[in-house]
Amino acid sequence: MRILVISPYPPQRDGIANYAAQAVADLMRQGHDVVVVSPQPSAAHLHIDFMAGPRAWAALARRARGFDKIVIQWHPAFFYRSSSVVDRSSIDLAMAGVFRLVPEVEVWVHEYEYAEVLRSPSRRRAARAAFSRATLVFHSERERDAFLEAVPVDIGRTRVEQHGRSFRRRTAMSREEARASLGIAPDEFVFLCIGFIQRHKGFDRAVRAFAALDAPRARLDVVGSTRLDEPEFLAHLAELELLTDQTQGARLHTGYVSDELFDRWILASDTVVLPYREIWSSGVLERAALFDRRVIATRVGGLEQQAGGRDVVFVDDDAALLAEMAAAAQVSLRLGDVGTDITDDIGWADLQATVSARAALVRGSAARALRAVEGPGRAQGATPVDRTAGMVRRLPPYVVPPATSTRPGAPVVKRLVQRLTGWLILPLASRVDQLQAATANSLDVVAAEIQRLREETPAASGGRSTPSAGGPGATTPG
Amino acid sequence: MSTVGAVDRAGRVAVVPARFGPEIVGGAEIVLRHIAQGLQGRGWDVEVLTTAATDYFSWTNDQPVGCRVEDGLTVRRFEAVKSTPGTERSDLGHRMLAGDRLTLTEQERWINDDVRVPGLYHHLLLHAERYRALVFGPYLFWPSYACSQVAPERSLLWTCLHDEPAAYQEIYRPLLSGVAGLFLQTEPEHDLAHRLFPQLAPHAVVGCGVEVPSGYDPEAFRARYGITRPYVLYAGRREGAKGWDELLQHFRTAVLGRGLDLALVTMGAGEVRPPQGLEDRVVDVGFLPDDERDDAYAGALAYVQPSRYEAFSRTIMESWLAGRPVVGIGEGGVVRHHVETSRGGLLYDDAPEFAESLAVLLGHPRIADEMGRRGREYVLSRYQWDTVLDGIERSIVDWTPPPTGAAGGAPPVADRVGAARTGGGA
Repeated sequence: MRILVISPYPPQRDGIANYAAQAVADLMRQGHDVVVVSPQPSAAHLHIDFMAGPRAWAALARRARGFDKIVIQWHPAFFYRSSSVVDRSSIDLAMAGVFRLVPEVEVWVHEYEYAEVLRSPSRRRAARAAFSRATLVFHSERERDAFLEAVPVDIGRTRVEQHGRSFRRRTAMSREEARASLGIAPDEFVFLCIGFIQRHKGFDRAVRAFAALDAPRARLDVVGSTRLDEPEFLAHLAELELLTDQTQGARLHTGYVSDELFDRWILASDTVVLPYREIWSSGVLERAALFDRRVIATRVGGLEQQAGGRDVVFVDDDAALLAEMAAAAQVSLRLGDVGTDITDDIGWADLQATVSARAALVRGSAARALRAVEGPGRAQGATPVDRTAGMVRRLPPYVVPPATSTRPGAPVVKRLVQRLTGWLILPLASRVDQLQAATANSLDVVAAEIQRLREETPAASGGRSTPSAGGPGATTPG
Repeated sequence: MSTVGAVDRAGRVAVVPARFGPEIVGGAEIVLRHIAQGLQGRGWDVEVLTTAATDYFSWTNDQPVGCRVEDGLTVRRFEAVKSTPGTERSDLGHRMLAGDRLTLTEQERWINDDVRVPGLYHHLLLHAERYRALVFGPYLFWPSYACSQVAPERSLLWTCLHDEPAAYQEIYRPLLSGVAGLFLQTEPEHDLAHRLFPQLAPHAVVGCGVEVPSGYDPEAFRARYGITRPYVLYAGRREGAKGWDELLQHFRTAVLGRGLDLALVTMGAGEVRPPQGLEDRVVDVGFLPDDERDDAYAGALAYVQPSRYEAFSRTIMESWLAGRPVVGIGEGGVVRHHVETSRGGLLYDDAPEFAESLAVLLGHPRIADEMGRRGREYVLSRYQWDTVLDGIERSIVDWTPPPTGAAGGAPPVADRVGAARTGGGA
């Protein structure tokens, strides 16, 4: 069979790209003649820039003739260039046109914008026109149900497949070798959050929970990079940097993570933490299973169904996440407990205290309070410079103002202006964010240097200069 | 003397240069070719995986795609795809050279906006387990970057690491830390690798081999090309990254400023663009057969090496074997290391030093000859293929397990991927 696969593809760093390559290898081993099209130049045979909108699908239509089947690895971010209902509907319809050209179409749904489609009848019609011609593959029944609610197509054209059925190990290292190569001591207990760094992955929740553990021989490694260099992604990264800096034992490793390095981290870890706020399926869950790693995950999307009978502990909130992390590392909590178990006969005072304790964990104040008490010299030596770095980091990122107005016609004009000037404005906005990060990082360096000097000259920590033996630069007590 | 026995040589080794052929002058390509031939000569089952292109600049597929025997080696060629204009790579490359920090997304766009080899990628995706080891090189090229990650546990890298802006890009970290082993050529390269990649993959400094010609005939070369005045020689790609433009400016200073009666003879690829007024002093002899190349070295006053980014610099070795000194750029660890260790030449940091070095050699032939003699001794004592291949074999045996059962079978010659259907973007 001649099969056209459409997907992000290696060497692009993306879980779906890796997934697609392994699926393509499977198809080829079965004897199919496979051609891969990727949205960006890659190891795929062809590339088409889907950000060109319907024109890209017209280009694909020219390529698709003669194939027996199209397989698409679907994620909205790969195919839609804006959130406009009109734009997305036009792409859905263009896609429907391409689907008519080949006898068989299979769409593997990794993510879908269920709520948006439910809100818009016209979008729903367009999506239905496209997807009703395809066989739809999901990784859990919950995903399938949510999709069918948003896009009512024949359930007989859908199926649920195990997410990791094509996955193979990408590292040949032993666990000991992997830990040594990553600088992990043999007796350290490693919690791992790994993947693209974005708010919905919830890695910050794991850091806050970790901060409350009394576990000097444990560490939490957050490994990954932002998918895009856009302000909202960078702002979340900056927030995570601040949080890990403040939390003893937490480390943020930003940078390129190859498939091999990804697997090496999983192999080296003791427990993989998936504190997702929302997600439908997880490649990390599958890769953790490849290496028999224990997983703590939030009960969101289709994760529970995807996990099946594997060694995964599901939690519903941050308090439970903290408790499970403590249990995994066999340690106690720094603040004693997160409160009393809530039962029907709990007293008001206990209930109030429990609520406060749990809220503190979610807010992160527990972590910050602990640093203030425990940091060896850090908190007591906190300088205005320390605080300044924090202030700079907390500046909100530049966000393009919404093109709204009560005056008739003004939103259209604003959108037009945004479109015309975007090429100029967005790089400037990005540069402002980079300057913000650079300024904060520079202040951190200065703060660290001040701290170092204080530790070298304890007498100076009271704010007075230390008298020297004389000579140039000698000062007298103030 | 090799400590590797026939039993240890089980399994197929793939050598994976971006280009392959006897006419290719790129240092890493020449070395990988010798390694392939050397390993096969010692009893290894060797296959070369490469592109159908031989020209570094155009990447035109001028060789047939598919599998055939070339010079006694099984060579499997895949289509080189250059379907993007390269403007983004150029822009990002300039920013990189200016010291700007590229984001990961930009680094990915930079590496992918160049020649790519999807057929090779898919060949390995399907058949990597049939090879015991895959020897890629150099680190900078897309095949090494993308294809070594298909089966990192059996990927080895002939690193060719230079202290250049590209080496500092994050996308290369997994390559240098996650493959099964790295072959390094010199101690400066070893030091650099540790400095750039704290979690370095298993590695060995194996050196690099240089063939010793049986004899030289410098007068024949002079006569063939009508060269009457003394000349300095440059061999390699004529491009900015190799220091060619800077060399021309320095040469202009030496000839017009210092008044040296010299010509600059150059062999290799790339546009020459001699400075105004020096058109008759710069002689491009193009690609030369091996014997003529060796004669060109022997007839030179000195060999000039203007490239800061060398992992080994085999042209320096070829000059020394011919008994001629080297005038090398001081900035860049490898050239300095060779010249300082051997005392077989002089180092320069700017145009006046360059001119003065040439003036010294021109005015003192005995010093020049003595430096050439010391250089030859240096090469003969350190960089011979037998020693290098011993190290490579030992490392392959140490870093990769021998195949078990039928896994070592050869992939089918006419496999489905790699056919000429890759094409580009829309």
